[in-house]
Amino acid sequence: MSKNRPTILLADDDPTITDNLPPFLERAGFHVLAVSNGRDALEKAKIHQPELIILDVLMPLMDGREVLRRLRSQNIWIPTILLTQIGTSTERAIALEEGADDYLNKPFDPHELLARIHAVSRRTQSGKPLLSTAWHLTSGDLALDRRARRASLADNPLDMSPKAFAVLEYLMTHPGEVVSRERLLQSVWGWDYPAGGRTVDTRVFEIRRLLDDDPSAPTFIETLQGEGYRFVAPVRATV
Amino acid sequence: MKKSFHFVSIGLLTIGVLSLILMPQLWVPEPILVLRIGAGASIFIFLLLIAFLLQIFLAGKALGQKEFQAQLDKANRHHEKEHLQFIRRLDHEIKNPLTGLHTAFTNFIEAHEGGERNQAKDNFYKALGRLTRLLRDLRKIYDLDSQVIERRPIEISQLVKETVEATQALPTYVRREIKVLMSTVPWPLPVVTGDRDLLGLALYNLLENALKFSDNNEPVEIRLREDGHSVFIEIADKGTGIPPDEQSSIFEDLYRASNAQHVIGSGLGLSLVRRIVNLHNGDISLRSINNHMHGSVFTICLPTKNQRKAG
Repeated sequence: MSKNRPTILLADDDPTITDNLPPFLERAGFHVLAVSNGRDALEKAKIHQPELIILDVLMPLMDGREVLRRLRSQNIWIPTILLTQIGTSTERAIALEEGADDYLNKPFDPHELLARIHAVSRRTQSGKPLLSTAWHLTSGDLALDRRARRASLADNPLDMSPKAFAVLEYLMTHPGEVVSRERLLQSVWGWDYPAGGRTVDTRVFEIRRLLDDDPSAPTFIETLQGEGYRFVAPVRATV
Repeated sequence: MKKSFHFVSIGLLTIGVLSLILMPQLWVPEPILVLRIGAGASIFIFLLLIAFLLQIFLAGKALGQKEFQAQLDKANRHHEKEHLQFIRRLDHEIKNPLTGLHTAFTNFIEAHEGGERNQAKDNFYKALGRLTRLLRDLRKIYDLDSQVIERRPIEISQLVKETVEATQALPTYVRREIKVLMSTVPWPLPVVTGDRDLLGLALYNLLENALKFSDNNEPVEIRLREDGHSVFIEIADKGTGIPPDEQSSIFEDLYRASNAQHVIGSGLGLSLVRRIVNLHNGDISLRSINNHMHGSVFTICLPTKNQRKAG
């Protein structure tokens, strides 16, 4: 921390990013350390112990995923946001598998990055792995096996479409947060379009039907008119 | 065809076997011409025949290889041409909004009064939006080409209804008339197997085009029917139409018809639709005129059972 301002380590090899993001983040109250390759990112993360790391995936010397793997293997759980180049579902799955707390597709609105930084910071319980890095999640009778991509309710397996599973997974790893339809489209589908909100609603409807969750008195997913959805039940990581 | 050849072969074989058994009993063969050759000469003739057949075989093979190579070269040239065309179109699609971005930024810096600055700011965001849209659509294409799609039963009538409602809820199209005509008698439309979200996106792209390219007071029609094997979705408009000589290119990446240059879009919408339909083992076709009567009908044909390979 520098002068009581939380430190963010920003690692990206593109000067367009490292020239423009630090002033924006500094204005938002952070102290920013910028590096241009993965090896420096790993070194600075260990020396400075920043409050948060923003890692680009494609970088020289060591890519962002490798940096993350090494940090996690050394039991360093500094919250990390991955900046992915390609919005593919595979890329997003890998990002979470390797211990990223959130990911953002380029190009992004800097305000969206700031919102993610605040959200990740809120979710952080210092020193402990976050829900986003846990393989098993439970909320009451609901259990999610993220590796096997299986959901069950009171030990009964649920026949859920892969997209509905991914939506539920995203909401459960961000409990208590209002997640907009646009954000779900960007994060789960990797794309959006003007009428795409309905696509999200259909999947939430599928989840609710399977969980027998009444939208007027929700146990799991609450609808916030004009804003999005929120997972209201407490979620914990299990082994 | 293959089946009839099979039957003819079996018939000929049967006649041959019967001849072998019956002919010696009916007719004792007598030599017509007797040729006496030595063992050396017969080996020579036999080997000559083998060598001759071998030469024919090798010549045929060389010819086949040459033809194959020629076809490969042709395919490579075609691919190279398509690749260059894509880069040329991409260059065009990027340089315009980038120039707009540059100019808007310069205007913003150099403008003195608030109104002019605000206009420059609006133009800046417009150009930025266009570049973002282009990248977003390019990414969708990459994603489609690289991922396995979901395959679950879809009620097309429900999907069409939802897409129409979602489109009419958008401020731009809130007053537009979209008619849905659906065949329901004697049975409802059969279920299609596929990725609901991708088909929704394809429908939206076609519907948006139909609305974009026709007057605000003109309705757009969506017609749904089936023929026992496939479901057909027709999206019809009374818009500007597509010139006949450009209709074959309309589904290519970044292709924009000559009468559509002024309309905002990435030039990837229809190519995305084609990809999505192909991933569902379906087809897309177009009927369009752009003379005194004008308009377009896009028809998506989706098999109701997955007859070919699944992705």
